[in-house]
Amino acid sequence: MSAVLSDIRVIDATDVIGHYAGYLLADLGADVIKVEPLDGDPTRRWLPALPDAPESEAGLQFLLLNANKRSVALDLDDPSGRAAFLRLVKSADIVLESWSPARASELGFAPAELREVNPGLIHASITEWGLSGPLAGVPSSDMVAVAQAGLMHLNGVLNGPPRNLPDHQGYRCASINAAAGVMAALLHRDETGIGQLVEVSMQEALLIAQETAMQQADILGTDRERLGGLRPGGFKMPGLGIYETADGFIFAMCSGNAGSGFPGLVDLIEEMEGRGPLQEEPLATFARNEMNAGQLMERIQDPEQAPQLLETLARIDTLVTEFFRRHSKTVLYERGQQRRVLLGAVNAPPEVSADEQLRARDWFRDVFDPTRGRTLRYPGPPWMLERTPAHLGRPAPRLGEHTREVLEEAGVPADELLAGGGAQ
Amino acid sequence: MTDDRRPLRGLRVLDATWFGAGPIALRTIANLGANVVRVETQRRPDGLRTVAPRPIGNPSLNVGGFYNNFNAEKRSVAIDLAKPEGRELGLRLVQWADVFMTNMTNRAVRQVGLTWDEVQAANPGIIGLYEPMQGLTGPHTEFIGFGAVLSAITGLNYLSGHESEPPNGVGTNYPDYVVNPGHGVIAILAALRHKRRTGEGQLIDMSQLESTVAALSGPVFAWDNAGVEYRREGNRVPYAAPHGAYRVASYSGEANRWVAIACISEDHWQAAATAMGHLEWLADGRFESLEARKAHEDELDHEVGEWAASHTGEQVTGALRAAGVPAGMVLKASELLNDDHLEARSYYAYLDHAEAGRRAYDGPGFRLSETPHEVRAAAPLLGEHTFEVATEILGLEPDEVGRLIAEEVLY
Repeated sequence: MSAVLSDIRVIDATDVIGHYAGYLLADLGADVIKVEPLDGDPTRRWLPALPDAPESEAGLQFLLLNANKRSVALDLDDPSGRAAFLRLVKSADIVLESWSPARASELGFAPAELREVNPGLIHASITEWGLSGPLAGVPSSDMVAVAQAGLMHLNGVLNGPPRNLPDHQGYRCASINAAAGVMAALLHRDETGIGQLVEVSMQEALLIAQETAMQQADILGTDRERLGGLRPGGFKMPGLGIYETADGFIFAMCSGNAGSGFPGLVDLIEEMEGRGPLQEEPLATFARNEMNAGQLMERIQDPEQAPQLLETLARIDTLVTEFFRRHSKTVLYERGQQRRVLLGAVNAPPEVSADEQLRARDWFRDVFDPTRGRTLRYPGPPWMLERTPAHLGRPAPRLGEHTREVLEEAGVPADELLAGGGAQ
Repeated sequence: MTDDRRPLRGLRVLDATWFGAGPIALRTIANLGANVVRVETQRRPDGLRTVAPRPIGNPSLNVGGFYNNFNAEKRSVAIDLAKPEGRELGLRLVQWADVFMTNMTNRAVRQVGLTWDEVQAANPGIIGLYEPMQGLTGPHTEFIGFGAVLSAITGLNYLSGHESEPPNGVGTNYPDYVVNPGHGVIAILAALRHKRRTGEGQLIDMSQLESTVAALSGPVFAWDNAGVEYRREGNRVPYAAPHGAYRVASYSGEANRWVAIACISEDHWQAAATAMGHLEWLADGRFESLEARKAHEDELDHEVGEWAASHTGEQVTGALRAAGVPAGMVLKASELLNDDHLEARSYYAYLDHAEAGRRAYDGPGFRLSETPHEVRAAAPLLGEHTFEVATEILGLEPDEVGRLIAEEVLY
């Protein structure tokens, strides 16, 4: 059974913005060659680091997203390094890079120039702002992109500071879009032989994640604000949002029609604690029939209904809050889900690592890493393709581990280049 | 209509998805040229057809911006799959399709009779992407949720915000919009390449839990291999400082606005201190290295915050960008709709819709130079293409369609 990209060679000259793109293509079986500066990709030295590993081989961010790639260390500021790079481009199907337009011109590696070297090339440019427009080339970063795509504005508590998303979602979303674009371009090339430029702007890759904020601004002319899980106006809807449990937190989404809705939560409470105020009048009928967040948000706008309604809702929320506080999040999650109650335990990374479902599906992957002298546990792939399973064949490379091998494969006289300092 | 050069022209896709992750994936596929047909029902419409934002007081299933944005350039056929004749028509669409996708729960998929066994039996060469919350196997295979539930169980909530606040989440159903649809698109295109090379279709079992953890894997990897425990630290990161959001004096004439500043490298830090007019920081032992700045991060953030608060957002971003330091305002959706950079790149598409009028739609997450992405039509009305699909794809005679509509098999 051959992998989907077993015939494809990728030159990955990206910095951190594009690492995950190359990683995804490698998972599909491509031969991904990472081209790094002589002192290594900067994330090799990012903290946190793997203990007891050489400094340039220890950055966990690097190890995670560069497994399955080969490493070639080239000095692109040296003419012989640039010449070798062009030979690699000639031998490749796909180039991934993240140079600003100015840097690409300085190197002589602008899209038209690389295409001249390799007319069928699929060239993916993954940058902060894209290659055109007034901000092209302006300094940015993961967090700055998340800010400039409207997502930080939505994340945080009411009137509090805006928050970034964890683990570099700007870089991730840029990379995911680059890999998708490369795959589309590859299908076109398979059919026609024609290569093309795939252009990704990190800002644009994130914009659709504003959820309804753009459409609200467009249709109603108002901006969504960050509310820390509350409803507009700072209102707390019972059964919706974060609740404390005996051992942490649980997230509830039980105030709509999905799953068994709020009645399902009422039944869960009865199953776990027996009948109580939520199962008796005057609350029982209300709790069973009227706990729909959308409708309630409209009803509380009505000054006639509001006072009594708010009092009822506050009473229900107190009962729900007290119920969650008496139980563990895992028990609530599992027993709730068995009743189709939309509950999710708020898991910390060690709990994600131990998740029963991920383990049962044998999702994590162990890879022995001789450079770091231990077996490292990698996350699994984002998909399971039944006939063409994902492939994690090698650990993250040592800096320049494959320089000689790759140069020789491409017909570059490696000895000369290594001696001259253009490669390492 | 101009000649279609897009890479997926001619591809037939049957869309049995709803809410966010499924529809967005297939919108990308549609905008790459595929012929995407959505199966919907009047009895149980896509939840996004029923919610805000929508024109005030208009309850129509066709005017919601949330739904419309994710379903541009698809056709909608309304079939009641619960009726025997409806189910038969559904299977004929399966036979027509090259790709089938659903992100319904496994239970709902069983109820409408579109499990992989049933789909593959009807069309052995088909690609089937099943994207339930937690995959097709395992003890939690029937667990359900939305992106915000995923955010809780995958660690996104735990890692976002600050420890002084509960883990409220990120304000949206984040995994639904790029991560899960994006991974889904890649998986479909990969399976399509395999099919074009070998003739084989295949099942794609995509667990939204796995897809989300894959995109959030840094903290899990750090725990598993180095015992490092990430926590909620606001906007701080272990490898850079200063790295945060700071309130500025004003922006665009408005108070209470924030700027994001990220000094990733030592060069950024030196340039930032210089641009802020605080050369003394560079001689200050508390700030002399990344390690020192991390050890004194509260003081560092206080200093940077004081500087930001005494300048406008325009001054802050102007000075820092000119100095080569990553910085940008925390923008709002209304500003992005009118943003010079995005306008110069024609990011947003404005499309006419029979009921919703001319509305903004998100543009592409990636751009192809030779076979550009296009959004050729707005979102479909519910059942807008029932007649067209029934006659052109299913080959029914018009009076037969009339009978099926009268019997509420079709709408």
